[in-house]
Amino acid sequence: MKASKRIFLFLFVSVLSILIVSPTLFAQVKEVKIGVILPLSGPLAPIGKSLKEGAELAADIVNNKYPELDISIAKWEGIPNLGGAKIKLIFADSRGDPGWGSEQAKRLIEDEKVVGLLGAYQSAVTKTASVEAERAGIPFINPDSTSPALSKRGFKWFWRVTPHETWFTKDLFDLLDGLTKGKAPGVKAVPKSKLEPLAVAAENTEWGAASLAEIEKFAKERGWKIAEGFKYPHTAADLTSETRKMIASKAPTFLFAPYVADAILFVKTMKEMKAKPRLIWGQDAGFVEADFYKTLGADVNGILTRDLFSAEMGKVKPVAGKLNEMYKKMTGYDFSGSSARDFVGVQVWAHVLNNAKSTSPEAIRKALNELHIPGKELVMPWKGVKFGSPFPNDTQQNELGSGVINQYQGYPDGKLHIIYPFEFATSKLIYPFPGWK
Amino acid sequence: MELATQLIAYGILMGLVFALIALGLSLIFGVMNIVNFAHGEFMMVGMYVAFIISSYFHLDPLISLPFAAAIGYLLGVVSYHFLIHHILRGPMVAQLFGTFGLMLFLRYLAMFIFTPDVRSIKQGILVGKTLSIGWLTIDVSKGVSGGLCLLSFALVYWIIHRTKLGRALRATSIDAEAARYMGIDTKKMNALAWGIGGATVALAGALLAHYYYITPTIGMLFTIIAFATVALGGFGSIVGAFLAGLMIGLIMVLSGQYVSELKFTFIYILYFLVVVFRPRGLFGW
Amino acid sequence: MRQVLKDIFSFEDRPRFERIGFVVFILIILVFPWMVHSAYGRVVMIKFLLFALFGLGWNLIGGYGGQVDLGQAKNVGFGAYATALMMFWWNTPFWVTVPIGMIVAAAESFGVAYPMFRLKGHYFAIATLCVALVWKELFVFWDWTGGARGVELTIRPTPDFTYMQFGSPIYYHYFIFLLFITQLLFMNWFRKSKLGYELQAVRDNEDAAASLGINVYRTKVITYTITGGLGAVGGSFMTVYYLYIDPDFVMPLDLSILIAMTVMVGGAGSLWGPIIGAAILIPLDMYLGAWLGAGKRLGIDFMVYAVIMMVIAAREPRGIWGIIERLRKKG
Repeated sequence: MKASKRIFLFLFVSVLSILIVSPTLFAQVKEVKIGVILPLSGPLAPIGKSLKEGAELAADIVNNKYPELDISIAKWEGIPNLGGAKIKLIFADSRGDPGWGSEQAKRLIEDEKVVGLLGAYQSAVTKTASVEAERAGIPFINPDSTSPALSKRGFKWFWRVTPHETWFTKDLFDLLDGLTKGKAPGVKAVPKSKLEPLAVAAENTEWGAASLAEIEKFAKERGWKIAEGFKYPHTAADLTSETRKMIASKAPTFLFAPYVADAILFVKTMKEMKAKPRLIWGQDAGFVEADFYKTLGADVNGILTRDLFSAEMGKVKPVAGKLNEMYKKMTGYDFSGSSARDFVGVQVWAHVLNNAKSTSPEAIRKALNELHIPGKELVMPWKGVKFGSPFPNDTQQNELGSGVINQYQGYPDGKLHIIYPFEFATSKLIYPFPGWK
Repeated sequence: MELATQLIAYGILMGLVFALIALGLSLIFGVMNIVNFAHGEFMMVGMYVAFIISSYFHLDPLISLPFAAAIGYLLGVVSYHFLIHHILRGPMVAQLFGTFGLMLFLRYLAMFIFTPDVRSIKQGILVGKTLSIGWLTIDVSKGVSGGLCLLSFALVYWIIHRTKLGRALRATSIDAEAARYMGIDTKKMNALAWGIGGATVALAGALLAHYYYITPTIGMLFTIIAFATVALGGFGSIVGAFLAGLMIGLIMVLSGQYVSELKFTFIYILYFLVVVFRPRGLFGW
Repeated sequence: MRQVLKDIFSFEDRPRFERIGFVVFILIILVFPWMVHSAYGRVVMIKFLLFALFGLGWNLIGGYGGQVDLGQAKNVGFGAYATALMMFWWNTPFWVTVPIGMIVAAAESFGVAYPMFRLKGHYFAIATLCVALVWKELFVFWDWTGGARGVELTIRPTPDFTYMQFGSPIYYHYFIFLLFITQLLFMNWFRKSKLGYELQAVRDNEDAAASLGINVYRTKVITYTITGGLGAVGGSFMTVYYLYIDPDFVMPLDLSILIAMTVMVGGAGSLWGPIIGAAILIPLDMYLGAWLGAGKRLGIDFMVYAVIMMVIAAREPRGIWGIIERLRKKG
């Protein structure tokens, strides 16, 4: 009996002690902690990794002096108005699971005592994590989720920096309309009949469903026919029949919204089936990850993708080029639209803290609502960061953001060239799609 | 007609690979009544073997096939001796649980070593080549994989049904106790079943790596498909695994053509219907 | 009636150390939110209670019934969706949605149990897995349920006992504890009930049970139906706790497996097994994930977790409860 009692006691005490021991860190005066929630394991771990690197680079630039960079955070060495306090990013893994996102948000807010949160990439995780921030009254800056619903919830403590799906889809149709009017660089006006109808494949996740819905909405508004528009099970073992279906629809324009693994599979399968679309457009995510072009090499040439960044940005924006070099030195690959967005997320945090001159949530909230970062500070081709209501029902959504549409040219050693907005174009559009060798 | 030919061809090529993946699972179950959750992870190991041979040693990924099979065999035997042997005594839940642990371990070991990046094989005699016959355009690597799958199937079938070793294996699977009385080392037979199971699925992985992407979390989906394949064909039946694999490949391609979103649903429903009417699968005993 | 009440609340047939342990456990949970000041500790506690709740339900079919069910997540999903959709479309109070979710889940379980219990062992396990996956895909497909975009509920600013929404996790702590203790008392009654004895007889030897005049098939079907209903309760809680659900979140395969695993680690078929299992796996998983999940090298947390799982499966297939029982017999 005695031994058993001891075992029982031991079990309960050990469980209890595990629960009680928590990472309580001593508050340091010269440090501002920001919690970053990202999918660092699970199927989206490759993207999570690059997002983390983007955020880390930004924090490094804020905390140390980089005189060669022509943006204000590079000269600060900490947050000037907070006595040179350094930004400390505390990363938490969401595993891509909304439950984990919410729980890690609670941990960061109450145990790590972070000043605010940043993240969380997947829209589903952002939804639950931002609920915790809203309840606790802690600012949540979202640089990387694009589901339009997120900024339509009327939250008081949620700000979105990145443009959302509605923008990107608008960009896509501006590009298509522009093509028919001969505005695209290096391409004469293409008759609409050569681009119509469209075939759309989106993965069946929150983000994919939102993308498809936006494309269908804009197509109806702008009068574009859709021959095939369907969702497919994500990380499907095989996409031959889906690809075949798109080819069989005889649509000249293929639009895709998958994450990286499926994006690779789609391109490989199209190549195998000798598909001959005249235009291929990918909805960011899978189409801009380093794994995508590293894996496919020359097969990516000619593919268009909506994006927020391009390494070629350096031509139009010198600071973007320098930052990209630094990032490449750190990681071995170029900034992508995703990692550059989390870079901007940390940058927005730095500016906000500096403007607020305090780490109290209310002061930060005020600073966020009044924030105006001019475009020249940013690595993105945006006009700046300023929160407002650019589309109906949007609240606290950056209204100065914009997307770009890039084209892969000259890979494996090539570049992602900007095609849209047409005035920023860094190269001529390759049209029609050259096909695979 | 064109559509039908294409779909059937794609379905069969895919089905052959599914069948080879399922073969090992079926064999292991037949011999010792245990379902292996780590099966898809064994396949993932095979894919990484092909990847390493191709991108670090710059050899043709075809050369990796025997290596993948050998490493798969070793992995199977090692997991048998260190884990499976010990969990065989326990109830079915404990067995599922143990192999699930093995699955998590292999998956995250791969993530630890190779990072979560998505990879693929870029060079090789077969990689990226296509072949056109009439309307039909197929990837050469898919075609060759299909052929090699058939060959491996024939080989395993021959081992099981025509050799002395196979007879001992079958005896163990029919009645382990009786086999022991007849002087068969059943522990060795179990290890052998795990070895062959690991070798075939790793081989399937190395073949799949020719035209598929490689990432540490890839195994689960294939494990589930393999479960359905094996249960459909009947646990322990080699012919059953083969035909069920083809069937699942065809259904996936056909349903992908019409209702892509529900393509796995059809497989699960088919499995459900078959086992309800034939509770031991199509070819189970 | 008296007998029923006694069966529900009495633990007298259990040895003394179990009763003492149980009381200590209840006390710890009651004072927990006031003693522990780590928010994550509280969150882990809530998740532990949630999984203990899931485990208690699953233990019915998986432990007492000995049928390995790998599809419990579908019932969690039914509960979660019943609550979420009724709140979203018709503003139904939480307490109305819970019984409806339970009825839906139980009805579905009853429907599929009929063909499914013709199967045994692994065939049954994989059939449950397939059914759960079919439901998940149908929920992704179906627009009325929000499809892949899920259902999101609005935050209510003040504590609300009609819709069970609170800003502070302390409320949720006692709320899930209430659900948990109700289910535990139900299980206490169940194991002593006629059905409970019949079920254990079926698990130990189907042929012997049948020869005693027990309708094996009927016993399994009824148990499976009840298990379905019990699984839905935790789902309803998840909806009001996280305020957002989607099919990948509330009905994935991983959840089904995790539920079965917690029971298995603790000791399937014992009253305390699911609680012990959840008390070990959930904190382990969550603390390893929080400490190592964002490190330089990924995957260490899962590897540690996996090794522990394998060691338990190999060394003590009856779970932690098996170890405790053995030690007690020795001591």
